[in-house]
Amino acid sequence: MSRIIERVRQALGVQAKDGRDTLVFAKSDDFVHCADAKATERDGWMESIRMEAKALNLQVHECPDLDACGEAIASLARECDPEWGTVKQIMRWSDPILDGLGLEGRLGTEIAVKSVPSADSFSQFEREEFRREVIASYIGITTADYLLADTASLVLLGGRGRARSVSLVPSIHIAVVPRSRMLASYRQMLSLLSAMDLPSNVSIITGPSKTADIEATLVHGAHGPREMHLFVVAC
Amino acid sequence: MLNQDPLKYRELAAKAVQDKQLHKALGKLRDKFGRNAVNLYNQLSPEHDPRQDAKAVRRKIVDNLDVVLETLSTNIQARGGHVHLADTGEDAVKYCLNVARRHEVSRVVKGKSMLSEEIHLNDALEAAGIETVETDLGEYIVQLKGEAPSHIIAPAIHYTREQVGELFAEKLGEPYTDDPPTLTAMARKALREKMLSADMGISGGNTACAETGHVTIVSNEGNIRMATTMPRVHIVLLGIEKIAATLEDHDILLRMLTRAAAGQKISTYVSYVGGPRLPGEPDGPEEFHLVLVDNGRSRILADPDFREVLHCVRCGGCLNVCPVYMAIGGHSYGSPYCGPIGAVFTPLTQGINTCHHLCQGETLCGACKQVCPVDNDLPRMLSLLRSKLADGDKRWDVRPQSLPTKLAFGAWSVVMRHRGLYDAMSLLAEFCQRFLPRKNGWIRRLPGPLGGWTRGRDFPPLAKKSFARRWARRDTTRRDA
Repeated sequence: MSRIIERVRQALGVQAKDGRDTLVFAKSDDFVHCADAKATERDGWMESIRMEAKALNLQVHECPDLDACGEAIASLARECDPEWGTVKQIMRWSDPILDGLGLEGRLGTEIAVKSVPSADSFSQFEREEFRREVIASYIGITTADYLLADTASLVLLGGRGRARSVSLVPSIHIAVVPRSRMLASYRQMLSLLSAMDLPSNVSIITGPSKTADIEATLVHGAHGPREMHLFVVAC
Repeated sequence: MLNQDPLKYRELAAKAVQDKQLHKALGKLRDKFGRNAVNLYNQLSPEHDPRQDAKAVRRKIVDNLDVVLETLSTNIQARGGHVHLADTGEDAVKYCLNVARRHEVSRVVKGKSMLSEEIHLNDALEAAGIETVETDLGEYIVQLKGEAPSHIIAPAIHYTREQVGELFAEKLGEPYTDDPPTLTAMARKALREKMLSADMGISGGNTACAETGHVTIVSNEGNIRMATTMPRVHIVLLGIEKIAATLEDHDILLRMLTRAAAGQKISTYVSYVGGPRLPGEPDGPEEFHLVLVDNGRSRILADPDFREVLHCVRCGGCLNVCPVYMAIGGHSYGSPYCGPIGAVFTPLTQGINTCHHLCQGETLCGACKQVCPVDNDLPRMLSLLRSKLADGDKRWDVRPQSLPTKLAFGAWSVVMRHRGLYDAMSLLAEFCQRFLPRKNGWIRRLPGPLGGWTRGRDFPPLAKKSFARRWARRDTTRRDA
């Protein structure tokens, strides 16, 4: 391994540990502070998200509170049909915001609502069990850590109770995001991530999956979710 | 299975220029992506050229590659990932096979990776009895066909919808249709099964972040997230030059990459993947391997004249505007990297003499430089490769390609520098050309070695009265009046 690094050094004509790392990893002041920008124009952000979403085939809903949001998601779940198989089952992240939707109560016995197990570690059996459940779900519900106004992108940090497959394997992905988590841009988000200890997985999701591999024709619904809903909750 | 050979360039290109289906398919690419990219750069930053920002970042990284590589390796390992620096393609393939054997892998799902094509990984996996499934729709189509990809980001762009319909009818047993949404749904169904049951996922990477210890993977289809989330083991293949130092670097690089590649502000999925899942995560791979591949790149790094080619972010943008690529398609280049970028990169990694057709086949029109998100001066490097072919070059082990050509151009140069000689030669040529066969006033066939020029096109005859003679006898009275 060090042989290749040594060869790279020779090719560049440089020495090890000559202080270049400060230059290489330096950040501009502009980048470090761009996340501090005060959120004064949030209404403009929502407008921008709505516009971007249209082109992305991402459906945006605005809700005054979690209760209204829960009701809207419940009726959406009733209307939609599973793509694979016939059983209706929902998988959601374990997250206080999603707890607040009260979906289990609203959908009762019609549709099973399961949540990602939250534990410090998992046995092989538990992992396989979870995997089966997520594959059997037609809707996956997550929240997001940030919502980017300039591209209508969701930023999902991995971690406990926040399985990666929930936003990926079910045919419909629903994300519930409080308005306060909006950021102006991708750059702002990177600036925030840059200042924290990152998990092993960060997914930035912009609309449902798509492809243009046949004659450069845009088709929504490639291998990820074919339908995506974003619920922005006022409080 | 995929027998690619840059020496077949002439033969393949001659066939491709006649292929109307190919041109129909490629026309869509040019119209949708090619023209769009530059407009998008201007929107991003109208006051100055954002390509220069991206270029500065790439230059910083490549010029300090040792520091960035070391930091990346250390940080990925700190996250519990394995890092392997592979000297050669064979070395990287061997490493992947060992990981697969250790985990008793029987099925691999792949995210699109041009590097895996470069090192012929699929063949090696298949030879080891491991089913290897490409999951990107375009890659899947070319894999079903038993072909190689013909474009860096749109592998099956050389097919029309009708051809894809026939292929799926034959291989998947589905009813024929030429409707792209229906065809996509067929692949979605067939591949979901594969992706959910694979033991190992292999992906490329668009870049990596050394500072945080993550690999950055961009996709629209979601196949790469599937291939890197659902199987037990995830291997990432990355060229040593493709990494970035900080998240700030990612800002400009990703924005330029997605605009150049597909005219998008951002791709559907941007994933930062660093190491295996943590104990508290119920899913994600249990083992994570990053294989950083040199395979000739450090040799390019050592030559300041060509180092710039390592700034490339593999967006495929230069293909979409290249008149040569549009005429001959990706397969003619006989290498995973086609188009203008391939015409520089492939000779440098596979031998300049062996791949001489690639750099000699391009037109030097400069469109690739204009569209390149990192302002790579590909025309400069193409010319330089040609001069090495003419003169020979020790550093790159280039033999002078043809002594007669060199002598002919030497003579040409002498003639051009001596007025009297030039005039005499033009008179001689004017006299001789009347013996050559013509068609519609154009010369149909040139004699001797010059005949190569007229094999595919006619040659304009010298004017009856040369410009120099007309200029000497021009009417100067009007200007004075």
